[in-house]
Amino acid sequence: MTNKAFRGLFVCTILGALLFRVVRLDVRPMHHDEANQAVKFGDLLERGEYRFDPNDHHGPSLYYLTLPAARVAGEKTLAGLDETTLRLVPALFGAGLLLLFLLFAGGLSRETRLAAAALAAVSPAMNYYSRFYIQETLLVFFLAALIAAGWRYARTRSAWWALAAGLSAGMMYATKETSIILFAGLAAALGLVFLMDGLGKRRDGVVREGAAWVWREARTRPPRAFHVTLFLIASAVIAVVFYTSFFQNPVGLLDSVRAVAASFNRAGHPGFHAHPWYYYFQILAYSKTAGGPVWSEAFLLFLAAAGGIAAFGHDAGKDGSPRFLRFILFFTVITAIVYSFIPYKTPWNILPFYLGLVLLAGNGVGLLLRISRFKLVKILILAALVPGFVNLAVQAYRADFTAHSDPANPYVYAQTSPDFLKLVAAVEKIAAASPEKEDLLIKVIAPPDETWPLPWYLRSYSRVGYWTSTEAVGVLGDAAVIITSADNVEKTTLALGDGYQQEFYGLRPEVVLALFVRRD
Amino acid sequence: MKKTMSWITAAVLGLAILAPMAMAQDPGKEVLKITLPKPMFVGTPKNIRTANLEMITGKPRGPFMVPVGTVLLSAGKPVAASDKEPVIGEVAFVTDGKKSGEDGYYVELGPMLQWVQIDLGKSQELLAIVAWHYHSQARVYRDVVVQVSDDKDFIGGVTTIFNNDHDNTAGLGAGKDKEYIETFDGKLFDPKGVKARYVRLYSGGNTSNDMNHYVEVEVYGLPAK
Repeated sequence: MTNKAFRGLFVCTILGALLFRVVRLDVRPMHHDEANQAVKFGDLLERGEYRFDPNDHHGPSLYYLTLPAARVAGEKTLAGLDETTLRLVPALFGAGLLLLFLLFAGGLSRETRLAAAALAAVSPAMNYYSRFYIQETLLVFFLAALIAAGWRYARTRSAWWALAAGLSAGMMYATKETSIILFAGLAAALGLVFLMDGLGKRRDGVVREGAAWVWREARTRPPRAFHVTLFLIASAVIAVVFYTSFFQNPVGLLDSVRAVAASFNRAGHPGFHAHPWYYYFQILAYSKTAGGPVWSEAFLLFLAAAGGIAAFGHDAGKDGSPRFLRFILFFTVITAIVYSFIPYKTPWNILPFYLGLVLLAGNGVGLLLRISRFKLVKILILAALVPGFVNLAVQAYRADFTAHSDPANPYVYAQTSPDFLKLVAAVEKIAAASPEKEDLLIKVIAPPDETWPLPWYLRSYSRVGYWTSTEAVGVLGDAAVIITSADNVEKTTLALGDGYQQEFYGLRPEVVLALFVRRD
Repeated sequence: MKKTMSWITAAVLGLAILAPMAMAQDPGKEVLKITLPKPMFVGTPKNIRTANLEMITGKPRGPFMVPVGTVLLSAGKPVAASDKEPVIGEVAFVTDGKKSGEDGYYVELGPMLQWVQIDLGKSQELLAIVAWHYHSQARVYRDVVVQVSDDKDFIGGVTTIFNNDHDNTAGLGAGKDKEYIETFDGKLFDPKGVKARYVRLYSGGNTSNDMNHYVEVEVYGLPAK
C-alpha cells in the first residue's frame, strides 16, 4: 500500500468513526450512571466544586475534561447543559483513539493499523460506549496513548516520549483508579516478551538477530534513569493535580488509594452485577432474544484469533514488529482473563482488552493480505472481508440509533427506557400550564436506584425534593406533582385521596414510576 | 348612611387587595427558602434482561364471588384483532388457556391503539373478565378499555366495563379507572352481569415499549339456556 493511499483511507476511517460517534448524541435517554456523572459535573461547572468520591464515580478526569466542552458550548449551569455536550467528550476521545494507532508505526504494519482503525470505527461496542458519558472510553484512549508513547520511547529513547508515557499513565489513573489492573497487565505482558526473548538467547549468551531485549528496531540499552524518573514524576503530578481537585482537596489523593480498596471489595462482592466468567465473550460472540436480531462480533474475534496466532511468527509485515504484536497479545489475554474472573462485571469494562482485540484483529487482516503477493488475490481477500466490516457497521448503527435502549441489545445495561421521557414530557406540560412554571413543587419518593436519571431531567426545576419513603415526606398534598416508585404507590395513593390523577411510566425494564398530578 | 357604607365597603375591598401587596413589599420580610432533600448518589442499578415472575404490587387479589354455575365462556372461542398481522404469535393465543409468561405464549400487536375481540358465540350473562397482557415483566399498559356488546362492530349497544384512558387518547371517552401494573394473577374486570356476545379489549402501548400484548383473556359467566 502506498503512503498516499494509506493516508487517504485513514482519513476516511477517522471521518467515519467521527460520524458514527457524534451524530444524534441525544437520541438515547440518559442512563442512571450518566445522570449521576452529569449532576456531579454540574457542581464543578456552576461552583467549581469537585471532591473525589472514593466510594463511587471513579476518577475526576471526565469532569475536568468536560469543562472545555461546556465552555465552548456556552453552557454555564447544570440547567443549561445538554446531553450532546456531555457525550461529545467521550465521543471525541473515542474517535481520537484511532489517531493514536498511527503512533504504532514500526510495531504494526500500515495494513494492520488501517484495518484496526476501520474495525474500531465500525465496532458496535466501541461506538456504543463512546456515546456514553462514563469514564471507560477515556480510559481506553489513555491506555492506547500509554502503549503508543511507550512504543515510541522504546524506538527512540526520547525524553519527550517518556514524558508522554508518564502523562498518559497519570491520566489513566485520574480516569479510573482501577487502571492499576491495566498497569499490572502491561507490566506482565512486557515481562512475558522479555521471557520469550530470554528463551531465544543462544547458549553462548548472544542474543539472536532480531531478539534484542526490547524490540527489533529499538536500542538495546535499558531506559535511562532520568527517563524513568520523568515518567514517574509526570504520572504522579497528573494524579496529584486531578485527585486533589487542583490542590483544593489534598485528601483526594489518599482517597484515590482508598477507592482502589473499595473497588477490589466491590469486585469480590458484586451483588447483582455478578456474571459468569464468559460474560464478556458471550456479549461479543453471540446474542439473540426472541424476535430480535442476532448480535455478534464473531468476525472481529476470528480475526483477532488469527492475528494473535500470527504474532508468534516472524512476519509482521513491512514496518511491523512480531515482538510488539506479542506484547499486545499477552496484554490482551492477561487483561481478558483478569476481567473475566472478577465476578463484578458491567459490559463497558470490556473496552480495555477489546482495544487489544481490535489491534490483533487488524493484524489478522494484515496476515490475510500477506498470504499472497498477487494483487488479484489480495483484492479477492479484501472483497471477502468487506461483508464482515459491513455487518459490524450495521450492528453499530443499530446499537447507536435504533436499539440504543432495547434490552435485547447486548451492550445495553440497566438503560433508562424511552418511556421515561414521556414522564418528563408530562411534567414539562404540567409546569408550562401552571402559574409556578419552573418553580413548581415536585416531590420524588423513590429509593436511590429508582431515582436516577430524574435529577438530570428535572434539573431546571427549582423546587424538587427527593425522599426514599412516603412517611419521610411529611406533607404530600402541597405538591402539584409527585413521582413515586412502585413500592410507594399504595401509601401515596392513600395519603393523597382522589385529588390526584395517577399514571405509570417505565423507568427501566421491570421498574415503573408513578406520576401523581393534582387534578386542579 | 348609604354613602358611608359605600366608603367602608370600598376601604375594606381596597385593604383586601392591597394587604398582600404590602406584605410582599415589606422590607423586613422575605420569601422563606426551604431546602429540599437532594437525590442520593448510587452506583449502577440492576440490569434486567430475562423475564421473571416477580410480583411487585405486594398484595394478591382477594376472592371474587360469582353465582353458582358460573363457567369459563371464552375457552377456545374465536378471536379477532385490529392488527391483522401480529408481530409475534397468533390471536388464537388469547383464548387457548395457556397463561405462561414465557416467550411463545403471547401475541404481540403493533404500536398505538390496538384491540382484541372475543366472540362468545351468543349473548350471555358476563360475570368476570380476566386479562393477562404480559406478566413476565412489571409493566403498565396504557389506555386499557374493556367493552362488551352484541354488535361485532361495537357501534351500538356498547357497555364499557373498564376505562383507564383518563385523557381520552383512545377516543372512546375519558375513563376514571386507574392504571395498574401487570402481574401473574391478571387483572379482573367486573362486568356486573351485563349480557353480551362480544368482548373487546383495547390498549395503547405500555411502559416498556409501544407494542400491545395479550397472553390470555378469560370471560366467565352463566351460559345462555
